[in-house]
Amino acid sequence: MEQICAALEPQFPCREIAITTLGELIGDCEEAYPPVIYVFGHSGTGKTTLINSFLKQCQKQQKVRIAQLNAIECYTTKIMIENVLDSLAVQQSPADNMLEFVEQLRCLHTAETHGFLIAIDNAERLRDMDANVLPVLMRLQQITSLNVCVLLLSQLPFEKYYNKTGLSEIITLHLGQYNKAETLRILSTDFDQVRQQLLQQQSQEQQQQQRLDICEAAMTPDFYNNYLNLFLSVFYKACRDVPELRLTARKCFGIYMEPVLDGSVECTDVSRLWRHIAGPLRAALTQIYMRIEKPLLGETVMEDQSVRKLAQSLELPYYGKYLLIAAFLASHNSAKQDKRLFVKHHGKQRKRMQTVNARAKNAEKMSTTLGPKSFSIDRLLAIFYAILDEKVGLTCNLLSQISTLVHLKLLSFVSGEQNIMDGSAKLQCTVGLEFVLYIGKVVGFNVRQYLCDFM
Amino acid sequence: TRLADGTPRRSIQLSNIVEQRIFDNNEIISTPKRSRSKLADDADYTPKKSTHKSPGRPRRMSTTGTSTKQKEDAPMTPSQKMKKIRAGELSPSMEQRHQQLDVGHKSQLQLAREQLHVSVVPKSLPCREKEFDNIYSFLEGKIQDQCGGCMYVSGVPGTGKTATVTGVIRTLQRLVEQDKLPAFEFLEINGMRLTEPRQAYVQIYKQLTGKTVSWEHAHSLLEKRFTTPAPRRLTTVLLVDELDILCNRRQDVVYNLLDWPTKSAAHLVVVTIANTMDLPERLLMGKVTSRLGLTRLTFQPYTHKQLQEIVTARLAGSEAFKGEAVQLVARKVAAVSGDARRALDICRRATEIADTGSEPTANAATKCVTMLHVQQALGEMIASAKVQAIKNCSRMEQIFLQAVAAEVTRTGVEETMFHGVYTQIETIATFMGVALPAPGRALNICSKLGAERLIICEHSRNDLFQKILLNVSPDDIHYALRVEGN
Repeated sequence: MEQICAALEPQFPCREIAITTLGELIGDCEEAYPPVIYVFGHSGTGKTTLINSFLKQCQKQQKVRIAQLNAIECYTTKIMIENVLDSLAVQQSPADNMLEFVEQLRCLHTAETHGFLIAIDNAERLRDMDANVLPVLMRLQQITSLNVCVLLLSQLPFEKYYNKTGLSEIITLHLGQYNKAETLRILSTDFDQVRQQLLQQQSQEQQQQQRLDICEAAMTPDFYNNYLNLFLSVFYKACRDVPELRLTARKCFGIYMEPVLDGSVECTDVSRLWRHIAGPLRAALTQIYMRIEKPLLGETVMEDQSVRKLAQSLELPYYGKYLLIAAFLASHNSAKQDKRLFVKHHGKQRKRMQTVNARAKNAEKMSTTLGPKSFSIDRLLAIFYAILDEKVGLTCNLLSQISTLVHLKLLSFVSGEQNIMDGSAKLQCTVGLEFVLYIGKVVGFNVRQYLCDFM
Repeated sequence: TRLADGTPRRSIQLSNIVEQRIFDNNEIISTPKRSRSKLADDADYTPKKSTHKSPGRPRRMSTTGTSTKQKEDAPMTPSQKMKKIRAGELSPSMEQRHQQLDVGHKSQLQLAREQLHVSVVPKSLPCREKEFDNIYSFLEGKIQDQCGGCMYVSGVPGTGKTATVTGVIRTLQRLVEQDKLPAFEFLEINGMRLTEPRQAYVQIYKQLTGKTVSWEHAHSLLEKRFTTPAPRRLTTVLLVDELDILCNRRQDVVYNLLDWPTKSAAHLVVVTIANTMDLPERLLMGKVTSRLGLTRLTFQPYTHKQLQEIVTARLAGSEAFKGEAVQLVARKVAAVSGDARRALDICRRATEIADTGSEPTANAATKCVTMLHVQQALGEMIASAKVQAIKNCSRMEQIFLQAVAAEVTRTGVEETMFHGVYTQIETIATFMGVALPAPGRALNICSKLGAERLIICEHSRNDLFQKILLNVSPDDIHYALRVEGN
């Protein structure tokens, strides 16, 4: 047990307690394992890596057979059973169900192996599998009379697992998120690697020797820690996922380094370096978890244009555009307002106190922010004909464009997908206001004018 | 060589061929199975004939020498065995005890216990004389007249329906032996013993001929038997117990069973037994109800006097029971269900309690079941286990149950949400001055109570929004917790 812990501790800083607990529970294969250990914690707290390396160490140092699998990959019970048997047994015959699985495991009593460890990642998927899977795994030791321990890894607390027939008590091990100091410590282990990479990069570019010299001089652990401090001051509030932070930190370090390499800023001048890096860091914060390769500068203008770009790239036919606009209007105006909006001689509307009050109350609840409402195809066509100036026949080409819009996911069915013909099908418009405004501009139609929210 | 390269399965098939040769003279070796099975299924094919053919055996066997030997001294292959079982040539037997149980002198209580056992049906059922007469006159009339008919007997469980009907049959069979009545055949099926309604045909045919065939075949054979007139046909009495189980959606089985008596050739009398009085009107189709006819008999639940009479009749001559003890049992049972089995069970339990409960110094012969023993037995058998379960719950589980009951009274709706219950737990825990469990802990408690079926709850994945129903009455909770509080 001590050997395993000693081997793992340098690899996993700040997880000494968890490693010790694990070592006490399953460190020695001569002792009886607990039947099941439930390891949970947020994503990026090192559950999977820690357990996997622990099991590997166990296998290396003791007579233990291990099986590591991911419950997402096991969409049927049979796959899971086969995976487990594949990794545990040397030779195996196929097992179709839990009974045969247990029978095969029972045959595994051998002198040279003392323990069996099964680690299942994403264990929350086990709840959706056959009803017997989770209970059997939780009592595998009892059923097979082997020295077997099942490790379940998940992000959920175990309270979300109880089914109607109840489950037995379980040993839980929580891996908490790292605090700021711990995160800093873990990220600073990167230092050597980053330095190597940087030096290599500089020497490859074969530019002035001067840059290489500066780089060598400036890259000290203190300098890197300073950078990480700045980095975490921006990122730590938003994200505590260590792998993600590590990735972004490496990406931004080049930008941080740039002024130093240019010689424009001294490497000790933290405040000026901060002024240079603050912008790119904030830009990078908006791109976290999105694996896009883009320059980190000038990000703010991009987002506005993305909708417009999409609208431009989407080449709908003329009537298709009008249909989309009509759908948007139908989704975001109530049917009561249709007469006033689209009929020419709708008569005079009396202003009544009641409606004024009702509208005032709803002022903060704009229908554009509340989300789209559903509408029938009849209403869509009625609005379409009202907003279109020219006369056009109701041809099958026109109707097929509705289904094309549904295929493109610009519209979606809410209900009654099967009975479109009898008129009970309800549709919804899924595009946003910006998008429709742009399409309106293309065909020369003022959408705002017809939206109740903007009146 | 054919034997040598055969897999195990193959060899079984080979022995099948051998078997065919053994049992059937008329076939040549390469005869396909089909034609043989047709012959075997023939109604006239009786075991007698097959034994008659045995002289021809040795000559035939000599062609396949190896398996002859196997046939003569080795045990039968599984398929041979199955074939014999299906043909009814092997009667199923049970293993015997190695040595007889040493029955010494039995005490009074032991004798009483034996007498009180439900399986000991008395020769004449007390308190069912009127029903006995009714069924007797019906069946006797039908048998005398050589015509068919139906009768429907209903009544709640444990009122002596089956016992009375079989009692009538036994009396009639005794009369037949004394030649006071024309002979008749008696068949009996029970809906609960059938895996599927159509298996009824198989069972009826088996009781007629002793052979087991598939249901389609049995059905066609029975159809033939009951529709074609035959001279010297005996009247057949068919007792159908648990009729409601035989009703599937098509109701073809029930229809057939009730349609055959209407055929003049059948001479079939069907007595059907079920629990519900209005079963024909509620469950059966119109045409089936009309065939069932209006000859009906309802067994009323036993009153306390009748139950007392039944028990005392069984205990005739013994002083194991005090009179008031029997009366207490009878009154308690009659108030609940009027089930004679229950009364007998409680009495037997009372004798067991009297046996173990009394001090060893007392003379075994004078041991007697008193009111207190009966009271204890009643407590064990009538009192609900749920109250006991609530009493033995942990403190927090009890608080949880109270909270669910409180939430039900507050909202007035049976179905509560976990978050509502949790607010009630907060209140109750504050009142009682106990530490509040965290919601995760409360979910654990909830799932535990759900597994014990004290409440009905959903999967805990929709934690705060899981719906909770109380599976015990709120009064039970109050009762259990109040008694404990004192």
